[in-house]
Amino acid sequence: MGKVIAITGNTAAAKGAALARPKVIAAYPITPQSSVVEHLAQLAADGELDTKMVQVESEHSAMSVVQGAVMAGGRAFTATSAQGLALMYEPYFRMSTLRLPMVMAIAGREMTSPETIWGGQQDTISVRDAGWIQIYVENNQEILDMVLQGYRLAENKDILIPVNICYDGFYLSHLIEGVNVPGQEEVDGFLPEYKQTHVIFDPEMPMAVDPMTPGELLMEYRKSHLEAMQRALNVLEDVDREFAAKFGRSYGGAVEEYKCGDADIILVTMGSMSGTAKEAIDIKRNEGIRVGLMKVRMMRPFPRKKIAEVLEGKRAYAVVDRNVCFGWNSGALYMEVKAAESDLESRVTSFPVIGGLGGADISLDHFLSVIDELDSCEKGGKSHECVWLMK
Amino acid sequence: MCLVNEIGGVITVNYIEYLDTQEDLVSPGISACQGCAAELILRTTLKIMGRNTVLAIPPGCMAGAGCVGWNFDSGVKVPVHIPLLDNTASLLTGVKKVYEADGRDINVVAVAGDGATSDCGFQSMSAAAERGENIIYICYDNEGYMNTGFQRSGTTTMGSSTSTTPAGKEGHGKEQQKKDIPMIMAMHNAAYVATLSPSHMSDFVKKMEKAKSIKHGFVYLHILSPCPTGWRFDGKRSIEVARKAVETNFFPLFEVEDGRYTLNVVNKNPKPVTELMGMMKKFSHLSPETIGEVQKNVNRRYRLLTTLSEMKNDMEG
Repeated sequence: MGKVIAITGNTAAAKGAALARPKVIAAYPITPQSSVVEHLAQLAADGELDTKMVQVESEHSAMSVVQGAVMAGGRAFTATSAQGLALMYEPYFRMSTLRLPMVMAIAGREMTSPETIWGGQQDTISVRDAGWIQIYVENNQEILDMVLQGYRLAENKDILIPVNICYDGFYLSHLIEGVNVPGQEEVDGFLPEYKQTHVIFDPEMPMAVDPMTPGELLMEYRKSHLEAMQRALNVLEDVDREFAAKFGRSYGGAVEEYKCGDADIILVTMGSMSGTAKEAIDIKRNEGIRVGLMKVRMMRPFPRKKIAEVLEGKRAYAVVDRNVCFGWNSGALYMEVKAAESDLESRVTSFPVIGGLGGADISLDHFLSVIDELDSCEKGGKSHECVWLMK
Repeated sequence: MCLVNEIGGVITVNYIEYLDTQEDLVSPGISACQGCAAELILRTTLKIMGRNTVLAIPPGCMAGAGCVGWNFDSGVKVPVHIPLLDNTASLLTGVKKVYEADGRDINVVAVAGDGATSDCGFQSMSAAAERGENIIYICYDNEGYMNTGFQRSGTTTMGSSTSTTPAGKEGHGKEQQKKDIPMIMAMHNAAYVATLSPSHMSDFVKKMEKAKSIKHGFVYLHILSPCPTGWRFDGKRSIEVARKAVETNFFPLFEVEDGRYTLNVVNKNPKPVTELMGMMKKFSHLSPETIGEVQKNVNRRYRLLTTLSEMKNDMEG
């Protein structure tokens, strides 16, 4: 039986990780992620968590240690933010392309410069093409639950891809919410011990791990990786169904729809802003505007088909990004949603919205004004200029 | 050295007989240069470590020579991985932690070049040593990034003409002294630090055995690996060059165990470094002043080592 306690997002991530019983945890402290490492270190010090904690000197080493651990057949966990993720880019790419499954929690933070330590999605968005599965969550319960689901997804033999659980720095990492923490026995039933066989570093099964590989073979690896990514869209739904049966909580698949069915216009969000957005939807629906919310949960793989289905026949949509795409006057999610929408027979009018960078708030008023602007759009598929939520 | 014979008796043998009985775990025909000392170092290392070993060889000569498998063949007969140039010690930390969690005693060994050790891999190695990870980190020091065309590294000797510090009208080779990695590692309180040379095989085998026996902390072995291609000398003289490096005190053989220093070869009348430097073309452009600087550094280092080894009895506390 689970127990409801009031904890921060970082504690939720740490508790999820501990329940997964990793053999090795390696992490380096960085704001706003630090309390994840601290909480795990305390659990180990109190004898409540049987794991090998490695207090590394950098995030580059954190990702390298967990790579070694998974290669040797163990389950591993780490967590980071922004500059730490940037520093670990080299082993991060290697982890996914060696198809080594694990979960890394990321308390999202804006990238420097200007110098900043506050929330944002620029860190994870900037590495969305490094081969990891990226799941963005809305609240602390979802952090804990998705760490557990993340291992099931990553370790599935048809997937074997590491998973990022991305949550907004400070807005979730330091926010206290009620979280149902499941019991160890329940979790053990859902998430059995992991046995790695496909890449193994073990004298009982000698192999050269990652010899120099010619282009023709390398392309086979990439193709197989991309195909496994596509399978992850369905496997996540299977894992979620099983999770729901066991724990009574469900998140659906890669996309969550909120009042989209009869909606005329659609707001698209990702991460913690979605809670405020839902409130704005309810207010505007009371005013008679038929607006719905599409919360994108998976950035990688990108749920292209599902997104196109939700947008089909709608008058207009707006995508709110907590990140920017340098070189496009929009955020990354907008670009990708628009690419998915292009699969439809007829265009849907749209515009990009950028807000909440560097920890700036995205307020209820912001969403209400975006919905008003969305409601003024005409059918016809012409995209509008980017709206910046600056005030 | 001791071996166990067919009827279970323990017999004493010399290191040649000992190595002769050990399995060569490196495939024949790897593509190292003629006279490559690193290949001999790797073969001998694995003969001693045996099959109960996993090996990380970061990018460098031994990886480039096909020891991590070249296309469809594996170059060594133990599990081998090519980590990143800068994360060998961290990666092996993770591997070792899982073995420790599973209660398995497996030799976890790095065989890395001096670039991967003293330059971009230094941070992760320093941290692994500070944490006391029980891994055996072996550096084969050929004084530069040799498999990519002899660029200078932190351990390149002053005055060396390399492809990034070429001698010319204005250039006189590398301007800085060699970075002293074994001493730096000794200061990390590593469980065991030693220098080894392929010219002194008895000492080599003894130290490698010692390294293998240590189960309580970080082991760092620094091995001089003369490089005929990059240093420009005849490939058949590699061992001779290595021996001269010891005889001139250019590369003193010493070990540090739990903070106690021992000089393994004491040269009462060391030869001048010119005898070593004159054996190869990478120094042929040097002025007597630069050679004097190298000699001064060699003398200073040897005096320090002598003093530290004489302090042995005072280090117990």
